[in-house]
Amino acid sequence: MPETKRRTVVYNVTRTAELGGEGGLVHAPIVPVEGEVFGDADADFGGEHMLINIGPQHPATHGVLRLVLELDGETVIKCTPHIGYLHSSFEKLGEYRDWNQIVPLTDRMDYLAPLIYNCAYAMAVEKMMGIEVTERCKVVRVIIMEMDRIFSHLLWLGTTAIDLGAFTVFLYTFQERERIYNLHEAYTGARITTSATRIGGMMADLPAGWIEQLKEFVRTFPNTLAEVETLLTNNAIWLGRTQDVGVISAEDAVNFGLSGANLRASGVSYDIRKDRPYYDYETYDFDVPVGEHGDIYDRYLCRMEEMRQSLRLLDQAINRLPGGPINVDDPRVILPSKTAAMNDMESMIHHFKVVMEGVRAPVGESWFSVESSKGELGMYVVSDGGSKPVRWRVRGPSFINIAALPHMIEGALLSDVIAVNASLDIVLGEIDR
Amino acid sequence: MSDFKKGLDALDSGPTGSPKETPRVAPPPEDLPPHPTVEALRAHFGAAVGRHEVVAGDEHIVYIDSAENLEVLRWLRDDPDQRYDFLQDLTAIDYGNNVSLQVVYQLWSIPHQRNIRIKIELPLDRLELDSVYYVWRASDWLEREVYDMFGVVFRGHPDMRRILMPYNYAEGHPLRKDFPLRGRFSRAEQTRRALSLKVEDHYSPAELEVATRLGQTLPDVTTEGGSGQPNRALAPPGLGGM
Amino acid sequence: MGLKINQGDGPDGKGRLPIQPGGETGDAQPGGLFSGSPGFLTTRLDAMVNWSRENSLWPMPFGTACCAIEMMATAASRYDLARFGMERMSFSPRQADLLICAGRVSYKMAPILRRIWEQMPQPKWSISMGACASSGGVFDVYSMVQGIDTIIPVDVYVPGCPPRPEGLIYGILMIQEKIRRATPTKDWIADEDLVEGLPTLAAETVDLITAPFGNSTNQNRSSGLTSTGALMRPSDRRP
Repeated sequence: MPETKRRTVVYNVTRTAELGGEGGLVHAPIVPVEGEVFGDADADFGGEHMLINIGPQHPATHGVLRLVLELDGETVIKCTPHIGYLHSSFEKLGEYRDWNQIVPLTDRMDYLAPLIYNCAYAMAVEKMMGIEVTERCKVVRVIIMEMDRIFSHLLWLGTTAIDLGAFTVFLYTFQERERIYNLHEAYTGARITTSATRIGGMMADLPAGWIEQLKEFVRTFPNTLAEVETLLTNNAIWLGRTQDVGVISAEDAVNFGLSGANLRASGVSYDIRKDRPYYDYETYDFDVPVGEHGDIYDRYLCRMEEMRQSLRLLDQAINRLPGGPINVDDPRVILPSKTAAMNDMESMIHHFKVVMEGVRAPVGESWFSVESSKGELGMYVVSDGGSKPVRWRVRGPSFINIAALPHMIEGALLSDVIAVNASLDIVLGEIDR
Repeated sequence: MSDFKKGLDALDSGPTGSPKETPRVAPPPEDLPPHPTVEALRAHFGAAVGRHEVVAGDEHIVYIDSAENLEVLRWLRDDPDQRYDFLQDLTAIDYGNNVSLQVVYQLWSIPHQRNIRIKIELPLDRLELDSVYYVWRASDWLEREVYDMFGVVFRGHPDMRRILMPYNYAEGHPLRKDFPLRGRFSRAEQTRRALSLKVEDHYSPAELEVATRLGQTLPDVTTEGGSGQPNRALAPPGLGGM
Repeated sequence: MGLKINQGDGPDGKGRLPIQPGGETGDAQPGGLFSGSPGFLTTRLDAMVNWSRENSLWPMPFGTACCAIEMMATAASRYDLARFGMERMSFSPRQADLLICAGRVSYKMAPILRRIWEQMPQPKWSISMGACASSGGVFDVYSMVQGIDTIIPVDVYVPGCPPRPEGLIYGILMIQEKIRRATPTKDWIADEDLVEGLPTLAAETVDLITAPFGNSTNQNRSSGLTSTGALMRPSDRRP
């Protein structure tokens, strides 16, 4: 693999929220008081812990997550997350579906970035089957994956801000997301459950005018991002609530299996687009932001910068979009054209067999991962030679990220629990699968 | 037209066969692309290392004896030439037809930028393995999920409970091939069981211990097959009444 | 649920007249508030109560999965829910009128949904948003509730996967229509006979409406070397 230049972007952000000269606010960290505050005599008042239950139905848990906290006043002594409230057995269901019928299931796991899941699944199966997609298909998939990375980060930004009290950001980000919804709908017909990929290609080629619409989005989106930055990045309340909160060290982050911006904010430079590049990512010019403190603020900065880098990637991908067919010319997996199928018998039989019996994969398996907006999304497909998988396993990044939550918040305050939970960017669909 | 004929023939001839009929025969070792970890493993652990396979072009799989899995995996993390510090995935595969169950560890080394997949075959009547909880903390929930879905018990795991299904789920382990898609009970029975769970049934033993300290009695929820009713016999003495 | 849609025609079909002979109770004023027959005053009062209820519904968003994102998009600025009076999403069931169950519900989540519904004070309505909440959707599996009407009573079902925001708004307009047709002065408290620990429907009905149908019976584990539909496992048909 050629040596890739890895530039890390270090942010020169003042660590204290000094706003201008006189009358500016200074960040005052909360320090524990030395010595006994409450005497032993008052055992009831000073000694009892409280067991409280957050969720599973709760506005701030980002889905049906349940946290049971043991509190000493406002301080978290122990936190136990409980999951499984959305377990829809995707993996078992996948064993009863053909390879192409699994694509609609992938939308419903990470419903915040469905195209990334569609692409990751198709890529894993194509690797197992040894199919190389066309150049146009590769660039189109890069385009839609980066677009959905922005899509997912926008929702993360809106919901995290609203959890910490900044309601306006939610409205701004959702307005931008509506534009991406329009792009989704123009291409795939659906806003969220896109199901855009097929084994060997895509469901259809890009419609006319879609690239222009995307270019318009890429041109105007930085303005919204700048507006949100002015609202949050140097905001004293935001800084006070996010700096040095939810810290996890680099060694712990690697041992806990964190991935995505959660890992990179702790200083570990691991991005699959750089370390195990796919679809010519090594030929694109983009940076990967790496933080240093491992707190919520660094995760926020990493994700904001990732959105900008995705815009760079989108620019380059749009410029290099080649012509040519979108689907690979392999009759084992791709349906014949409708004209051919309607006009001659053999094509019709071919069409019938591929649809009714499904695409068949050779014996084998593949564990393939992509850099999704939430982290390392792994797809493990095992085939025994049939049209349905023996095992389809999804390594959802949020499942592993949320397991590190207790480690990050034990000793923190109750209000930090919500902030750290939001900063991990979880989606319950891929946790519970 | 001949393209379509070729396509039809390809569809008909299909794949070479499934493990049901023929056991998977690995190509001879000389033909496989080399992987530095495999040689080091064989040098270090000798007989515990089974066969080596390469799938999907460049993915290396090594089979390890189930008795040695903890030592091998710990060595893979700690040896300076291996340093597989990132546990990407831990899962299991049930092939069905009473073939053995495989537990799969997918590892990545951030310093050396290498992948390896370790597989351990377990006989269906002895689904037990040593836990790697203290090697990679990421395996905490991953092993719980394998236990929940397949029934593999990981010895040494501090909290071996179900994670996705309710804690007293009585229908079995869902991802096994002999488990029907819609479950073993009728829908009405599943609904009745779900609705008769008390909310307290969802707490873990540690949380229940806190609640008991605070003076509340709660049932033992880790036994399967419960109807969701509190098990008063297991309450601490003096607190059996509710 | 006990809410009766009653147009209030007289027995001879002459429509609503302010003066009716007697009434069910016999001694109440004809057309009076509790006479049992609708009068001018009761219908005006009904209309006023209904108007105020339908235009200030406070939804309780019980969002679990993808439909919750569409519900959030409906509440955002493009398809604004505030213009229907739903400015305040109430996350506490005690202060909500309308439960919007958006997303798939698992059996682990079912008792929570039931408890939230029971905690909502009357008058209350429920919308089952999306295919998964209405019937289980694509998830005809061991862990998913096949339609939340087995758990709680449902007023309006909004199909879609996920339904577009316009679809959800249409469902909300249907709830408003349902409210408009209600007679709160007669049915101030709706009968709700949810038995603790049991589904809302009888066991046989639950099994009947959740039995596999259509193509799902053919979705069995055939490994490509036999054509689909040739071998079906008997357990696939039994619920």
